[in-house]
Amino acid sequence: MNPKALILSLASVWSLAGCDRTPAPTETMPTTEVADLPAPDPTLSVVRVNTTYQRWNPGQPWEKLDSNQRRSLGAVVSDSRVLTTAEMVADSTFIELETSDGRKLAPAKVEAVDYEANLALLSTDDTEFTKDLVPLEISETPKIGDTLQIIQIENSGNPLITPGLIQGVDVVASFLPGEYFLTYQLKTSMQTAASSFTLPAMREGQLAGFLTSYSASDQLADITATDIIRSFLQDAADGDYAGFPSLGIATAALDDIKFRNWLGLAPEIGGIYVSSVLKGGAAEAAGVRKGDVITSIDEFAVDQTGYIQHPAYGRLFWSHLVHGAKPVGQTVSLELVRDSEPMTLTATLARRKESLVPTHTFGESPRFLVKGGMVFQELTRPLLKSFGKEWQETAPLNLLEPYENPEAFEDRMDRVIFLAGVIPTPATIGYESLRNLIVDQVNGQRIRNIKDLAAAFENVPADGLHSILFDEESFTIELDEVISTSVDSQLLRQGISKLSRLD
Amino acid sequence: MPLRFIALLLLSVTLPLAAQTEIPDKPASAPSEIYRSVVRIEAAVQVPDYSAPWNSGRFGGGIGTGFIIGKNRILTNAHVVSNARRLLVTIHGSPEKYPAKVDFIAHDCDLALLSVEDFTDFDSFPVFDIGGVPELESQVRVIGYPIGGERLSVTRGVVSRVDFSSYSHSRADQHLVIQIDAAINPGNSGGPVLQDGKVIGVAFQGRRDADNTGYIIPTPVIRRFLKDIEDGSYDHYVDLAVSTFPLYNPAMRKALKMPEDGSGVLISNVIPTGTCDGILKPGDLLVEIDGYAVDSAGQVLIDGAKVDLNEIVERKFAGDKVQLRYRSDGVWHDQDVLLKTLPPNQMYAIQYEKQPRYIVYAGLVFQPLDTNLFATEKFDDYQVRRLFQDYLSEGIFTERKDIVILTQLLNDPINSRLDSFQGMAVDTINGKKVTTLDQAHELLSQSPEDGHQVIEFFGGTRPLVLPVADVPEANTRIQGTYEIDQLVNLAE
Repeated sequence: MNPKALILSLASVWSLAGCDRTPAPTETMPTTEVADLPAPDPTLSVVRVNTTYQRWNPGQPWEKLDSNQRRSLGAVVSDSRVLTTAEMVADSTFIELETSDGRKLAPAKVEAVDYEANLALLSTDDTEFTKDLVPLEISETPKIGDTLQIIQIENSGNPLITPGLIQGVDVVASFLPGEYFLTYQLKTSMQTAASSFTLPAMREGQLAGFLTSYSASDQLADITATDIIRSFLQDAADGDYAGFPSLGIATAALDDIKFRNWLGLAPEIGGIYVSSVLKGGAAEAAGVRKGDVITSIDEFAVDQTGYIQHPAYGRLFWSHLVHGAKPVGQTVSLELVRDSEPMTLTATLARRKESLVPTHTFGESPRFLVKGGMVFQELTRPLLKSFGKEWQETAPLNLLEPYENPEAFEDRMDRVIFLAGVIPTPATIGYESLRNLIVDQVNGQRIRNIKDLAAAFENVPADGLHSILFDEESFTIELDEVISTSVDSQLLRQGISKLSRLD
Repeated sequence: MPLRFIALLLLSVTLPLAAQTEIPDKPASAPSEIYRSVVRIEAAVQVPDYSAPWNSGRFGGGIGTGFIIGKNRILTNAHVVSNARRLLVTIHGSPEKYPAKVDFIAHDCDLALLSVEDFTDFDSFPVFDIGGVPELESQVRVIGYPIGGERLSVTRGVVSRVDFSSYSHSRADQHLVIQIDAAINPGNSGGPVLQDGKVIGVAFQGRRDADNTGYIIPTPVIRRFLKDIEDGSYDHYVDLAVSTFPLYNPAMRKALKMPEDGSGVLISNVIPTGTCDGILKPGDLLVEIDGYAVDSAGQVLIDGAKVDLNEIVERKFAGDKVQLRYRSDGVWHDQDVLLKTLPPNQMYAIQYEKQPRYIVYAGLVFQPLDTNLFATEKFDDYQVRRLFQDYLSEGIFTERKDIVILTQLLNDPINSRLDSFQGMAVDTINGKKVTTLDQAHELLSQSPEDGHQVIEFFGGTRPLVLPVADVPEANTRIQGTYEIDQLVNLAE
């Protein structure tokens, strides 16, 4: 994918406001460039978004960890709804809107959220709060070289407006890894101010994007592109948000001349090599195969490193054409070379199906089951991440396997259910060392998901002993139904709030 | 669950010098006489460089201790003399250095037997007798040449524990060890530990995270080593090559219809080609080994102490038999099983005295995966780590004796744009599965009809392709630029 250097997230560059109540260092009002703007006072079109969020305890999925707060800005759009980043509402337990002067507060709810594109639409029922707000129009698509204004609100309530120049356009993953979306790179010099987590970017008084990260050392900000915001709002308008589609392929560059010669590709055709095709994805349905060379997408010639020449944005990675530029259900035409023969395929863009190991679990409570002290969980990427900062090296290899190579598991399971650990109880004597083992069968029944697991345990064998078979192991572990049931009721008395969450 | 190889806890060269210990009262039996039979060993070593396997490696050296156990037989630790290019022995109180050589070395139990070129000056020295296993709480003396001074040092300690534990020299082996409460310091290694004038162990490792603990190799391990080499060569330890799972859980016992008497252990994995392959299988119950009852933790009672059941085979040799009583599919069996070594286990053992094997082809450096390479190159590729972990337990070695890794690229026009393949494991060359480094070399030496070498990697996004016609010239160029004397070494 895009070999872009990471830019530090704002969260780590700046401390979050809220605790900092000292007056802003400058009382100067907006610079001359802002004075030229025909726009009304931005303070009526921007609100503060204050969220309380709480994550689940990865090791003890029946409970949550300590709560924390985030503050940032949202932009008021039509119908008095507020647009902000998905990062702001992730794991939120309470969302509150606050007018920029700090006089009014209103609780808000999430209308639509896209964690991939990092956008969220909020609404409030409080008409008293919304009545004086001035919604922003969505800007025309800006071009490289245009100036955008980044809006910050100081603690005093004064706006702080910083101009910046769009110096490039690229596809960037701003929140979830691997989710690359069209992003402006803005050369700007910003200062720390209150609510500096997520900031609206304006162009001629209209909303043009959202700042998602800023590197003080490079003086570069990443701004979610106007096209992405517009598509998001259009999709969300009907109250049923679908999300951005994808093509479902992984590609490798074709800049190695030796490899090109071997494939028999003429130097003048560019093209990228299809290194894998996602099962059940749009490309597979269209007939794309591993080893194909894609030479153009929707008439845009793809060069040997995967870039196209976009009329507005210049050199741009191909992925935008299928992941951002078009909604679900539209088609793209693919020109490709297979076995030295050119061919054309048409793919109908679709949402990518959920991964075997979900990449995020925002808005969902972790699914688990405790039986006799054995703690079973559904494997997710956040759980893998709980193995530490270097989790891709420190997590157990057998748990990384379904994440790295889901196709080897997908036939047998919808979700990976694993024994996360064992609480020492009378039922688990001798099992204390068991952990991080993928469950294959319980009482002879294959376990495809957590509900299967619960159902299999409901089905008590005649001898009163549940037998559990783990993946890659060839002997069973036994659990006594009578003892584990009494253990379970003890665990509840000892403060475990619930023994399972299956939905 | 299968016993994965236990992480290194003990370190052979560890603690800073411990506080000065009072030298014990000399026992009645002329102690100073035996000091002469404790020698100082000075080793000059050359350690191969796995990151540039064509280079000479690193020169260094160290000090250890040895002691005379027979005519021109000096016992010491393997780690004192590993990779040695020159060995010199000195006697307590004498400046003279006597050149010595390694006659036998056993890296799996950290023991080596040396001889000097001329034993004449040693002839009149007393010879140490090998004793038994000391009692817990009994007192022992450690003699050696630890850091902190030039001359012989004696410390005294108490036997704290007799246990089955890791030998850090190879990283992969576990045998019986005795823990004492005297510190074993660098230089003590290979020195005798005495009780009643007899050797009851060889000092060999300490540990970083505890004070006043030293570990010694007990006499059953020493005797086994000495017996093993009687035929003129050292064979490795034999291995049952099974993993076991404890049978404490009442539900487990009930399901297996085992009485609540704490007997028997469950077989959880059987290594292909190993001693028990074709005899035991996962799910079987092992209850007796050579007549000793196996308990639910997989232990047996020997000489009044509970030890791991592997201790029974520890004392045996390749070709010996062991009697197993086990239950398989509800049927009881009593069977004599022929004991074998487990060569693929060497994947997890640090290798010594070996030249690294490699192929440099068009600037691509291919090396077989082993613990030495793993310690040099930090492999973060998931596939490589998986192949390493499963090599033994999943029997990968039966298909691929070597896991061939593209460890580095010596940059040259012929290998431009190939950086992404670095650190990956080779699956096939020209469609043929790569099984050993030798075979990989043979495959690369052939000229495919279409003029391309096509190399596929585990988890690779595309094949790596090289035009065969350009390779010889590139090899010559690379050999010159990077000062590589030999482009290929296939011999250890």
